[in-house]
Amino acid sequence: MNIVVLIKLVPDLVEELTIDSGGAGLDLTFARWIINEFDDHALEQGILLKERHGGTVTVVAPDLEGADDVLFTAAAKDADRLIKVKGDFTMANNHALARAFSAIIKDLQADLILTGVQAHNDLDGSAGPLLAECLQLPYVGYVSGVAVNDGKSTIRKEYPGGLLAEMEVALPTVLGIQAAEQPPRYVAVSKVRQAMKTSSIEELDASDLNPDGAAEIGRMFQPEAAAHAEMIEGSPEEVSAKLVGLFKELGVL
Amino acid sequence: MNYEALKSVIVLLALSTATGIFIARAYRLLWVNLRRGGASGRFDHWGERVKGVLVYVGAQLRLFRFLVPGTAHFFVFWGFLFLSLTILQAIVEGLAAFANPHYVLPLIGTWGPLALIQDLLATAVVVAVAYGLYLRLVVDPERYRGSHKGAGVKVLGFIMTIMLSLLVMNGLRINLNEDLLGAWRPVSTLTGMPFASLSPAVQGVIEEAAYWIHLGVVLLFLTELPTGKHFHIFTSIPNVLLRNLEPRGRLPAPQSADGTAGVSVMEQFRWKQMLDFYTCSECGRCQEMCPASQGGSSLSPKLLIMDLRRNLEERGAALSAKSSNGILFKSLTGDVITDETIWACTTCYTCDQECPLFIEHVNPIVEMRRHLIVEGRVDKKLQDALANLGRYGNSFGQSERMRAKWTQGLQPAIKDARKEPVEYLWFVGDYASYSPTLTDVTRKTAEVFQKAGLNFGILFDAERNSGNDVRRVGEEGLYEMLAEKNLLALSKCKYETIVTTDPHTYNTLKNEYVWNGNGRPRILHYTELLDELISSGQLKFGKKLDARITYHDPCYLGRYNGVYDAPRRVIEATGCRVIEMPRHGDRAFCCGAGGGRIWMEEKPGHERPAEMRVREAAALDGVTTFVVACPKDVTMFRDAVKTTGSESRLEVKDLIELVYEAL
Ligand code: SF4
Ligand code: SF4
Repeated sequence: MNIVVLIKLVPDLVEELTIDSGGAGLDLTFARWIINEFDDHALEQGILLKERHGGTVTVVAPDLEGADDVLFTAAAKDADRLIKVKGDFTMANNHALARAFSAIIKDLQADLILTGVQAHNDLDGSAGPLLAECLQLPYVGYVSGVAVNDGKSTIRKEYPGGLLAEMEVALPTVLGIQAAEQPPRYVAVSKVRQAMKTSSIEELDASDLNPDGAAEIGRMFQPEAAAHAEMIEGSPEEVSAKLVGLFKELGVL
Repeated sequence: MNYEALKSVIVLLALSTATGIFIARAYRLLWVNLRRGGASGRFDHWGERVKGVLVYVGAQLRLFRFLVPGTAHFFVFWGFLFLSLTILQAIVEGLAAFANPHYVLPLIGTWGPLALIQDLLATAVVVAVAYGLYLRLVVDPERYRGSHKGAGVKVLGFIMTIMLSLLVMNGLRINLNEDLLGAWRPVSTLTGMPFASLSPAVQGVIEEAAYWIHLGVVLLFLTELPTGKHFHIFTSIPNVLLRNLEPRGRLPAPQSADGTAGVSVMEQFRWKQMLDFYTCSECGRCQEMCPASQGGSSLSPKLLIMDLRRNLEERGAALSAKSSNGILFKSLTGDVITDETIWACTTCYTCDQECPLFIEHVNPIVEMRRHLIVEGRVDKKLQDALANLGRYGNSFGQSERMRAKWTQGLQPAIKDARKEPVEYLWFVGDYASYSPTLTDVTRKTAEVFQKAGLNFGILFDAERNSGNDVRRVGEEGLYEMLAEKNLLALSKCKYETIVTTDPHTYNTLKNEYVWNGNGRPRILHYTELLDELISSGQLKFGKKLDARITYHDPCYLGRYNGVYDAPRRVIEATGCRVIEMPRHGDRAFCCGAGGGRIWMEEKPGHERPAEMRVREAAALDGVTTFVVACPKDVTMFRDAVKTTGSESRLEVKDLIELVYEAL
């Protein structure tokens, strides 16, 4: 089985975020790029599937600072192929990312494409469905378990409120992973160093970085300290009636 | 064939059988099994090594740390050594019986003073063994939990029988006027008395029976020597001879660092480590004092060594038999020693220090941890800490740019050692830098340094966790990475001395970092620096604090690096009086945070080491302040004071707070 894991790098929230002079985006000059947490789960799920069913895991990441580390760490976890997509991804949105990646992934003949269900900088929707659209493949998000059988995958999808669904999806497909079946494993630094010596990163050019189709961002704000919160109490009916009233008052309805 | 000739033949047969069994067993254990282990080195510094054998085997120095049992052991040891001459006499006498039934060895059998010494020592051994039996069977202290009681009692029984049969035999020979040196054996004379009324013929038979019992038990004992706890009688000498001579704080590097580091199969241990496993006498000194054992974890250093020994023997036998015995499929890390046990150690070094036979525990534990790390078998909390250390260089998961945030607003501003030369480079460490509860203590340290007129600076965001505990968690690769970054940052600075408040940092900088160029700089713990400043008059106190306090020795400052007096002198200089806890100095009880334990999940339900320690301090008369000299200790003990509800009774203070108050 040919598993492709798409990894997005996101600015590390440990560093203070500032808005750039244009006012509609982050100032990313000093950003530290780290693997999107959900993508780490997607990678773990990919490795677990490989351990169970065999096959290969190919990891694709955009060329941002830190991509090499992320890719070699994936290799240390036993990923087989590492691909870095060249291009200026600093300001690229998910539409651009999905188009660029889909061109590359098409050639990889993937059976299963795994990616994190979301990332904290998804301003134009999450990357998974956009990618599925580009590839004309089915997509299921919020997945927390995958089993593969006879060209089909059986997946577990999580719904809010603790509901679980099990469904069958034909392969190939794109899955947005919410949580791998086990937490991403720890990989020893010595293993990463070893991977740096023994594996290599293929560099492929992104065809184009076309951001079209996304909603335009007018302005970005630092969160403002809210003055107070009002608790609405009562039965569900009363609460919803009060809410509707409130929305009307505020002019959103 | 007459009796004498028969005696010679039987003695000869018994002797060669027993020796044969002994050699066969010892060969299998010491040659066949040990050769499967890794190389060990340590064939150096012979003078020091031999001296160690004289001091620790000969004078039994470490055994006296448990005074009464140690004294008893001392007599058994020396008794045996001298009485081995008697045993030799008994053997030769038997072998020579066909020619001369009363043959005595020259000197050994003819020199009066030796006979006197032997007679008295035999008595001492009887008393010591009786005490040993009392200890085992009646007192049965905690340290014997899990030891092979039967085997222990059996050995004591052997020794007792050997001694009593000797005394009886000698006594009867005196009665029968067969002993030239009878006048030199007062105790034997006494043991002979009850038999004096019997006829000479009967006495002769009893004497002969005593001889056979004596010799028979000696030979039986010989065959049993290479098993279980008795083996230490034989292996203790090479084991102490080849002990680790490196500084305590220098952990041996893994055998290979290529991603397969660590030990997951017995044969990956070095052969000297295997010899350690054979040498354990199951005395339990290590167990009695281990904070992990006392805190109810599954780790006991003694049981760990015993389990490793069993695996070594069982695997050895299975490998030799080329059987596909189930033993061979048991994994060392997991089946033989559980993950939980391996992670429970705080690396406090108590066990290594207490072991009279110099058996190492911390080292094999870390070796097994190294394997678990490569396998990714770590708990969630530890995994997060390691990921943070890898990414940000600190376990708090904060940006390195925030490392020096605590300095904000300090006047005069703290120098950046990367930009200007300083005399003292202060390596602040993670806890002092990032822990919000320690900001006050860290700032006070800076102020004290400033008031003493020190020319000092820090590395700001170029500092990383020193890696001491990362190394002890078994993450050698990460340790190397952190050490490289720190060494690189330090190599660009001009300074004379490194000072740190953190004993863990102190340990690895001092003992493990590989300093190139000008070699290792002077490295001081802040208590040593303060001590210097006080005695040179550079730091003067304006006030005398008049308090009774107790001081907790941090493992990595005290036991690992021998710094006990400097902090006490500083405390006394502030006017405080140090009231010692029962366990202090090199016996200080660990707070439970070391060896990376501070990053791991605590198993609820049991009293934690820090809590036991707080209770120990709270029981001291009139002591209201618990003084520590390690940032992690402030965190650990403030927490423990709360969870034990001792807030009204005890206040935890860093030593610098006393100094600050007394200025
Ligand atoms: S180092 Fe300390 S915690 Fe670890 S086994 Fe030895 S005594 Fe116990
Ligand atoms: S390891 Fe040493 S201290 Fe511990 S039981 Fe064995 S001999 Fe005694």
